[in-house]
Amino acid sequence: MSIDQCHSTVGHLPAAKPRETPHELVGANGRAYWRGLDDAADTPEFRDWLEREFPAGASMINGETRRTFLKLMGASVALAGAATIPGCRRPDHKIMAFSREVPEDMVPGKPVYYATSMPLPGGGAEGLLVETHEGRPTKVEGNPNHPINRGKSSLWSQASILELYDPDRLKDPVYVPSGADVPRSWKDFAVWSKQHFARLAERRGDGLVFMVGRKSSPALAVMRSRVEERFPRAKWFFYDAAGADSAIEGSTIAFGKPMRESLRIENADVIVTLDRDLLLHDDGGNALANARGFAARRRVVSGADGMNRLYAVESAWTVTGSKADHRVRLAPSQVGVFAVALARELVRQGLRNAGPLGDAVNRATGAAGIDAAVVSAMAKDLLAQRPGRTLIAAGPTQSAEIHALVHALNNALGNAGSTVHYRPMTGAESMTADEAINGASSALAAGAETIVCIGVNPVYDAPAGAKFGEMFARAKERIVASVGDNETVAAATWKLPLAHFLESWGDTEAADGTLAPIQPMIAPLFGAKGELELLAMLAGEESLDGYEIVRTVYRSRASGADAGANFEGWWRRALHNGVFAQGEAPAAGGLSGVHGGAAGVMGRIAAAMNKWESPRAPGGNSLDVVFALGNVGDGRFANCSWLQELPDPLSKIVWDNAAMISPATAKRLGIEQTDPTDKKQKGRMVRVTVNGASITIAAWAVQGIADDTVVLPLGYGRTVCGHVGTGVGFNVYPISAGRNRRVARGAEVVRTTVGAPWYNISTTQSHGSMEGRAIVREADIAAWAAYGDDPFKGLTAEEKKHLTIDAYGQERQLNFAERMGELAHTPANVNAYDNPQRGLKDAPVIGGPKPTAAASGETGTPPDFAKNPQWGMSIDQTLCTGCNVCTIACQAENNIPVVGKIEVNKGREMHWIRVDRYFTSHDRHDPNPEVAHQPVACVHCENAPCETVCPVNATVHGPEGMNYMVYNRCIGTRYCANNCPYKVRRFNFFDYGVKKFNGDYIGRGAMSAIKADPANVNLIPPRLRERLDEITKLQMNPDVTVRSRGVMEKCSFCVQRVNEARIEAKLKGMEMIPDGMVQSACQQACPTDAIVFGDIYDTKTAYTNADGTKRTGSRVHAMRSSGRTYQLLGYLNTRPRTTHMLAVRNPNPELISAERKRMWDHPFGHGHGGNGKAGAGHAHGPMMFDTDKAEQDAGYRLSLSVLGAHA
Amino acid sequence: MSTIFPKWFNKLPPLILAGVLGGGSAAVAGVWYYATPKFWRVGYMPSQPFLTSDYEDVLYREANPRVPGVTYPGFSHQIHAGKLGMDCRYCHSHVEESPEANIPSASTCMGCHAEGHVDEKFARPAHLRFVRDAWANDESIQWRRVHKLPDYVRNFPHNVHINAGVSCFSCHGNIMEQEVVHQVEPLSMSWCLDCHRNPEPHLVPRDKVTDLYWVRNQFRSTKLLNTASSGLGGLDSGTPGGAALLNGLREHDLHLLPENCGACHY
Repeated sequence: MSIDQCHSTVGHLPAAKPRETPHELVGANGRAYWRGLDDAADTPEFRDWLEREFPAGASMINGETRRTFLKLMGASVALAGAATIPGCRRPDHKIMAFSREVPEDMVPGKPVYYATSMPLPGGGAEGLLVETHEGRPTKVEGNPNHPINRGKSSLWSQASILELYDPDRLKDPVYVPSGADVPRSWKDFAVWSKQHFARLAERRGDGLVFMVGRKSSPALAVMRSRVEERFPRAKWFFYDAAGADSAIEGSTIAFGKPMRESLRIENADVIVTLDRDLLLHDDGGNALANARGFAARRRVVSGADGMNRLYAVESAWTVTGSKADHRVRLAPSQVGVFAVALARELVRQGLRNAGPLGDAVNRATGAAGIDAAVVSAMAKDLLAQRPGRTLIAAGPTQSAEIHALVHALNNALGNAGSTVHYRPMTGAESMTADEAINGASSALAAGAETIVCIGVNPVYDAPAGAKFGEMFARAKERIVASVGDNETVAAATWKLPLAHFLESWGDTEAADGTLAPIQPMIAPLFGAKGELELLAMLAGEESLDGYEIVRTVYRSRASGADAGANFEGWWRRALHNGVFAQGEAPAAGGLSGVHGGAAGVMGRIAAAMNKWESPRAPGGNSLDVVFALGNVGDGRFANCSWLQELPDPLSKIVWDNAAMISPATAKRLGIEQTDPTDKKQKGRMVRVTVNGASITIAAWAVQGIADDTVVLPLGYGRTVCGHVGTGVGFNVYPISAGRNRRVARGAEVVRTTVGAPWYNISTTQSHGSMEGRAIVREADIAAWAAYGDDPFKGLTAEEKKHLTIDAYGQERQLNFAERMGELAHTPANVNAYDNPQRGLKDAPVIGGPKPTAAASGETGTPPDFAKNPQWGMSIDQTLCTGCNVCTIACQAENNIPVVGKIEVNKGREMHWIRVDRYFTSHDRHDPNPEVAHQPVACVHCENAPCETVCPVNATVHGPEGMNYMVYNRCIGTRYCANNCPYKVRRFNFFDYGVKKFNGDYIGRGAMSAIKADPANVNLIPPRLRERLDEITKLQMNPDVTVRSRGVMEKCSFCVQRVNEARIEAKLKGMEMIPDGMVQSACQQACPTDAIVFGDIYDTKTAYTNADGTKRTGSRVHAMRSSGRTYQLLGYLNTRPRTTHMLAVRNPNPELISAERKRMWDHPFGHGHGGNGKAGAGHAHGPMMFDTDKAEQDAGYRLSLSVLGAHA
Repeated sequence: MSTIFPKWFNKLPPLILAGVLGGGSAAVAGVWYYATPKFWRVGYMPSQPFLTSDYEDVLYREANPRVPGVTYPGFSHQIHAGKLGMDCRYCHSHVEESPEANIPSASTCMGCHAEGHVDEKFARPAHLRFVRDAWANDESIQWRRVHKLPDYVRNFPHNVHINAGVSCFSCHGNIMEQEVVHQVEPLSMSWCLDCHRNPEPHLVPRDKVTDLYWVRNQFRSTKLLNTASSGLGGLDSGTPGGAALLNGLREHDLHLLPENCGACHY
């Protein structure tokens, strides 16, 4: 039974028929845009779902029956009892001042920023700045001094702050002598280990195994050598379960020793990726720099600007593939075949410097299923560029030979030393996962009696074939140090809490060689010790202080002016700046320094390629498997609720992983996607078997995945993890085996016959769908070059007259992007809400100068926007890669709660900024559609529909153009969300902000008496959930309210940062807030600078850019003046302050259809689009209106008549 | 019939009406008057600092802070800010640069109150025990918060107000005459807005902001301050220089006094 409170959406709409052609999906340029399979199919369920403000069940009481609800409530009231009735006395609020020691640089009430760095899994690092409030870290930002970050940050560094305060972290050492946990202290461990390790030292470390998380850290390397001095016969393994092993082996083939790639994408005109996710989850920790370099060549401002071209050949969806101008969809084994075919074609078309490679690739046969035209055009494009202006990059699913081949091609194309540099790998980085796990396993099998695991979780992530868990249990002493609880800890004899990187000393080496310190922001919260300190203890060092260890390492490295007496100053400066030493400038001349020079490299690769066998294409029930990296990485971030609730960029799945397959493969294997009992889209449980090992997992069809390929995201299905991550998703590690663990062949996928056949998967994929109006606008660069600067080329004056908009009562000609949308196709704006600016003579124009006070009428009347500053945001969809960092950064800054899987399924997710993903193609069943990413937050309409319907004035406009949400006034009517055309308002249905969304709950015992399945915490009504742990509250930003339930919330334009900047400016006596002084959290994190925030009327101030160039006016003003800027749903006359910029693509003219090419001359939909009726798609055609809907829906008809349109 | 409804029943409807009207009016009037910060918050005067009960007993045996004229053995603003004339910023040292007026650390207290620094006749060791104990044990002195804005007020910057020329006096009253600090003003939203809409009477020259006696005399002379109470009353005219200060603020949009919701609530 459902208790739906939203009468307006129930029973009033006639059931819509599923239609063959969904008119409303047709975009301005005649292409269809849709968001998921359901959407494209336009089923009645989807329509029903779409037409509600919040989906069915969003306002239901938990989908339980009323009877169950009453039972639960009764139980909770009985349990809560009188103890919760508050006293009537005014509570004492105590102020605890400092006592003796007062930190000198700390001003109570003002945040202090400290530099540190984050070691990335598998190597590489990020440089960070951490905001601390009275010694409590609350927010992580990128360090502007660090060459990888340049002020930007990644998902994992943003989320690390939550990991620090995870209440499920290990607390104090525990000894398990005989099955039962015995709490111990570090002192006990020190006593025990001294004795134990002294005995091992006598045997020179025989029978001692170390497994340490693979990372780049000189201090760790030093500690390792100390340990090995004491235990020379000990085995030491650096381990990273999801490492790109084949890249290490491939570079060993090519250069004779393992080398790490460091890319300079900004130098490349044409980029080819072979199953590599350069922009988000790039192995080697260079993704931020890659994204920045990629975006640097895509900043299209005027029609004359060019851009780079990206070809992605990939099997799974990555954000890199979604940004590609051409994406080739191939199974991972066939991507290798493609690479060889490309090499062959390059040689055929006259690639110079190929040397012996030509014969080798010509010998390799087999190119069935590869589109020769694509290969040929790609080769031609690569060769057409100047030497050193291209880049080919191979990803972790590719074999070592293919990696070597790519090194050879880059060398022959002159890219070595230009777009790609090579740095030798350190010992820590060059050990493959396969080597480590099998090495450790066989050492244990051979009778090693002591194993020390630091920051690794091999019991969980070892392949089934390695039998690691079994071998691990054989060791007598199993010492496991870990930040969070995990499977390996559960099997340990000593469970040691490891300090988080935000609370320990250390150092990192970034992908480009930059050395940076890790310094603690806070004393270890749970009596934890740092990795270096623990190793020092085991090595029998005298100094066990992390600070001294790192300092000693750098004192011995210091040279020249920094050494000796000057060391102290150098050290302090380095800690302040967060950088010890910048990465060395890569050697010029490419491969001259490499063993054997370029000729040697080519020879070695040719020799390897001579042995290469072309793999057979997958088919039948022998599929290829890709092990993909998702939000939780290799599983180490599984207990971070922010990352779990962050939608996957392409599939939009939250709180789960699924076996993703293409719709065609799903159909072929008989894997349906709809549960016949309730007609809902669900995951069908399947069994995936590879080489005898098998897993059971839900299958989920996603358009664009290569046929005959199963994509399995790593890191889920943790069994010992904590309240958040335990039991989320499916563990796919058991079937990953072999030399390259990121890919497998010959997988058999069959539907399960035992257990529940259907599995609920929560996605945000279709939430807030926008009825197919020209929300996302795209154009090809050729169309932009022709019309970008003058969108009226070739039109008569009479025709031009129709192409104006009525902005603030002034007529203005449309720009390029606006001509592509509704404004060109709808009548003059008629809004139900009066615009105070209408008809005023000198009223402001979007992108125009600031209105004068005289023009704006009386002050005190509705906002006149005449005051300075006027805030606005611009989001460039050409640059947005869909990586979702903005969402996490916003979550951290604005105290946004997580809600849990079931709540997301009801459409109750709380993210203030979401990144919508639209599939786009001329054919909505296109197996390989293009993708458009569109971040949407509250757009702060000047004419805001939400404000007019709020009965209590809880959402009001400010004089600076911001739409304020006043939480303490809000009574939760949700009228505003109903009236918001952008669906950006989030309602806090329960106390998400102060409740644990997952975990213990009030009256667990009483509950189990009522409910059959008390273990499923996702079914616990949020109202019964336990309150947040005190420790979690430490993360909260003190400058933002923690909202309670029953309150609407939405993007605030980071008003707390604006106010902080205003205070600073006032105190300094400045007359204005200069551009860049306020950065919204999303803008600050965005790796490609796609989001820009600032004063939209700041047109005259002179600024100097970071690179030394000058500009006039704010960046956001420049963006808004661009021909690519348009307003989302601008024809509604909402006047959004956040404007979006049209996405530009750069397809290869040889590879696109004639139809698409025609669009270059007619980018504004002439002769295309429409709904097939005469005249549709032209300037005044009704293409944006859904005639079928108008017939069925009186309300829709009324809206059209208000707009003066006749459908 | 008459046995069922006696004659006085005829009076019942008007009586009920009067009762409803009267009760309703009383309820409205009661809420109007009592359910306000002015009633509930003004006058809140907790003893300072918060002490453990045995220690507090010792002090209370010596004196009762509620009895006028008796020296309170806890911390007295009247002695420090009034009698000794110490500047507010000696202890609340970051008030000009931080949104928060910080509470001094124990080390600040010990600057004067270490053994032998102050004549024991004036600062009796028993009274100073909480300071010296806190210092010796490296523990915080626990102060009770008097002026507390609701949680949904996220932005009240002391620094901006001080720098604009709003004296401590305007919000905290005659601190230099209060032995135990109590809340003088309601700190309600309408009270904030009153000043933001007509700031002129409250603006004093920047160098007089913490000169509480000077400010008090100014306010008295402009009849802003009602001598009978410590609270601020009418708004007759501005302080000398107040108008000039206000004009200075009005020169730039950025420095205008915000009256919008988003200035404080987010």
